[in-house]
Amino acid sequence: MKSNLKLTDFSKAGDTQLTEITIDELIPLPPPYDKVEELPGFKQLTEDQRERLVCNLDGVVSYAALPKPQDTEEERKYVEQFVSGLKKLLSRENNWTFLQPLLLSIDYCVQCQTCNDACPIYLASGKNELYRPTYRSEIFRRLVNKYVKPGGKLRAKLNRGNIELNWTTITRLYELSYRCNLCRRCTQFCPMGIDNALIARELRKLFSQELGWAPKELHEKGTILHLEVGSPTGMKPDVAKDNVQFLDEDFTEVTGIEVSTPWDKEGADVLLIHSAGDIVSFPESPIAFSILCNAAGISWTLASEIPGYDGVNYGVFYDDIQLARVAVRHAQIAKKLKVKKIVMGECGHQHKAFMTVADRVLTGDLNIPRESVMTFLENLVFSGKIKFDPSKNDFPVTLHDPCNIVRNLGIVEPQRRILRYLCPQFREMTPHGVDNYCCGGGGGLSVMSDVNFTDWKVNVAGRMKFKQVVDAFSDQPDPEIKKYVCAPCLNCKLQFRNILEYYGAREKSGIICGGLAELIVNAMVDIKAPFIQWGEY
Amino acid sequence: MSGIVWHIFAFGVIGVFLFVVTYRTLAISRLPVHLRWELAPIPHEKGKNRYGGSYLEEYEWWNRPQHKSRIVPMVYMAKEIFLLRGIWEHNRALWPLTFAFHMGIYVFIGMLFLNVVNAVFIIAEVPLSVLNVSLVIASAFALVGYLLGGLGTIGLLLKRALDRNLRPFNTISTYCNLLFLGAVFISGGYAWLHSGDFASGMSLFIKRLITFYAGITVAFPLSLHLVIVLSFILYLPFTDMIHFIAKYFTYHAIRWDDAPQDKKMEKELRGLLAQPVTWSASHVQSDGNKNWTDIATAEMGDEK
Repeated sequence: MKSNLKLTDFSKAGDTQLTEITIDELIPLPPPYDKVEELPGFKQLTEDQRERLVCNLDGVVSYAALPKPQDTEEERKYVEQFVSGLKKLLSRENNWTFLQPLLLSIDYCVQCQTCNDACPIYLASGKNELYRPTYRSEIFRRLVNKYVKPGGKLRAKLNRGNIELNWTTITRLYELSYRCNLCRRCTQFCPMGIDNALIARELRKLFSQELGWAPKELHEKGTILHLEVGSPTGMKPDVAKDNVQFLDEDFTEVTGIEVSTPWDKEGADVLLIHSAGDIVSFPESPIAFSILCNAAGISWTLASEIPGYDGVNYGVFYDDIQLARVAVRHAQIAKKLKVKKIVMGECGHQHKAFMTVADRVLTGDLNIPRESVMTFLENLVFSGKIKFDPSKNDFPVTLHDPCNIVRNLGIVEPQRRILRYLCPQFREMTPHGVDNYCCGGGGGLSVMSDVNFTDWKVNVAGRMKFKQVVDAFSDQPDPEIKKYVCAPCLNCKLQFRNILEYYGAREKSGIICGGLAELIVNAMVDIKAPFIQWGEY
Repeated sequence: MSGIVWHIFAFGVIGVFLFVVTYRTLAISRLPVHLRWELAPIPHEKGKNRYGGSYLEEYEWWNRPQHKSRIVPMVYMAKEIFLLRGIWEHNRALWPLTFAFHMGIYVFIGMLFLNVVNAVFIIAEVPLSVLNVSLVIASAFALVGYLLGGLGTIGLLLKRALDRNLRPFNTISTYCNLLFLGAVFISGGYAWLHSGDFASGMSLFIKRLITFYAGITVAFPLSLHLVIVLSFILYLPFTDMIHFIAKYFTYHAIRWDDAPQDKKMEKELRGLLAQPVTWSASHVQSDGNKNWTDIATAEMGDEK
């Protein structure tokens, strides 16, 4: 185990673990979470797992299926595939999508290390060298310079810090590309505009598009299932419709008002595309939308055609091909339904993938107007069509800013205007807005749970955010006072659910997490019983 | 060095510098349009840039005019370039040295420009009183530039060599670049101290260059400095020190590029989408002939 990890260590010592995560070295949390001995331990790999799995990075495994070569011939094959992928990343044909940002980030980093202190993972880890945003990027940069650029091998020998390319380097790089939330806070800090998050994503892309390596939750059970079956949840169209119909009936009973969700309404003004995971994990969210849209008299619909009832697009985390396929399908469905606009659900990466990144994939009549749920809800709340009583939300509320909506799209204020109006005890975290910290589930990490990855994403990736949440409510630590973290993004909510459960934050501090639409419905005058059921989150 | 050699050397260096810088700038600017990858805050977002908001905060943004500020991005970049705002805000410990270093370069460039002006003044035979003032200013610029640049360079060399946060990322070229720049500033300071009237010597040299006077002679300290400066200008465009060009693109063409697709862009995009895809993973389903559009719109089969 290396305490002073060097860049050149990365390709050495084969199966040996490069660094270790111990809870003692992580940044301390505020009370009552400051006693390490009272927290669940970090799940360590068993001897059997260490034997079977590739675990040569930090003792964490995000992808159990990562292959181990049987002989030198097979190792050589992987190295050749990797070099081939590097070349494709630098080619116009295969990577026009991100070639300019990638080349600039490879060639012009001035190594000032300003970005490191922006990274919540690096900070939370107690500044473990491995998690510097620049560590991963510099390895990648040196490999590109050595193996792709003319005269690279000679220059690598003359320069200090020559990195060998072997199976160890490749597998460690693969794992390390999934120790980044792609939140781009480091990019914001960089005076040169170098994008370390993009480099992490390009690495993931190389592994996926050339070697076929990607976390099963993002690929096999992610985009593949999404495109074939309709949703990474595994829900087929009929099941999705049945589930929502069941929820309509259930919530009609609970709320005392008629809840109905329209499907496949041709010519509707709005096609709303939820994350289907909300139907399964946070059913109050889609129902809240149904209540609000109906109460405001909006002409709207959901789509039942594959994959139109699930707005996620995991391609944005790791694969341009899959990103384009999902975005094109969504747009084709909207075109078929002849809707006037598409509204994103409460899903951060859906916003980024569909509203901006895919804006340059959807040409011609596929370029249908796409709007954020934040502006949609703001317009709805302040339209005067629905009566609200903010005193129904008189409990402490704080807002988590999903990186993909706020830092990446600049949608900052609409959600705040709603919360300032409807939640008398709304308070900000520090920092917030475009300076926020990621929840730790960004970059697809929230849905990844192979081997002991959940322990890492809760303990390390989500640590800064959990600290922020506890600090935001520090004036009212009593667990009897119920507190609400508003996270208008499914993946963020899933990560929060993991974090709050791991630390027992509901029991110790009375903290729960939910979406924005639920808070709005909770404040509706026409909803007699509280919509937010504190025991069920 | 005889007169004609100075001409060949100086104009050759300037020619190579301009050619390589132009080539590298065009190479970046001609890269294909990329997928949108903007990052807040975007300073041209009028009324919203204060908190990092964008036009996407508007209800049905496509029906509303986008109000763009031209001034705020310029002020932002001016602060970034001349005050190193980003380093000041996020890496304060590095700021004094890198500020001195960059300011030394800017003042040095200012001094070169002033001496070109002085050379023109000499050719135009402007009144001596005017020329003298201009020479004094150029001389002051030289002194300040060499001092700041020299201090900044030495400080950065030491910091890079000793700071455990920076040292692991240094390469031989990191040190070469700094040493070369250090040589520029130190030789300049030496020439300033030992050349009598430094600014006059510099202005006369430039005058003789631009008038193609064949009998150029330059005394030792200044000639050494000029050789080092010209060698550095020759070296510069081949290194990553031309990040001043890259920075334009990382900000304007990536971080701040929030332009929605328009007709002109669509035409370029259609061309890009018609390119063949050769990624090898099985789920891509490329056969070497399929293009991006074929692959993105193909029906899904067994492609795990």
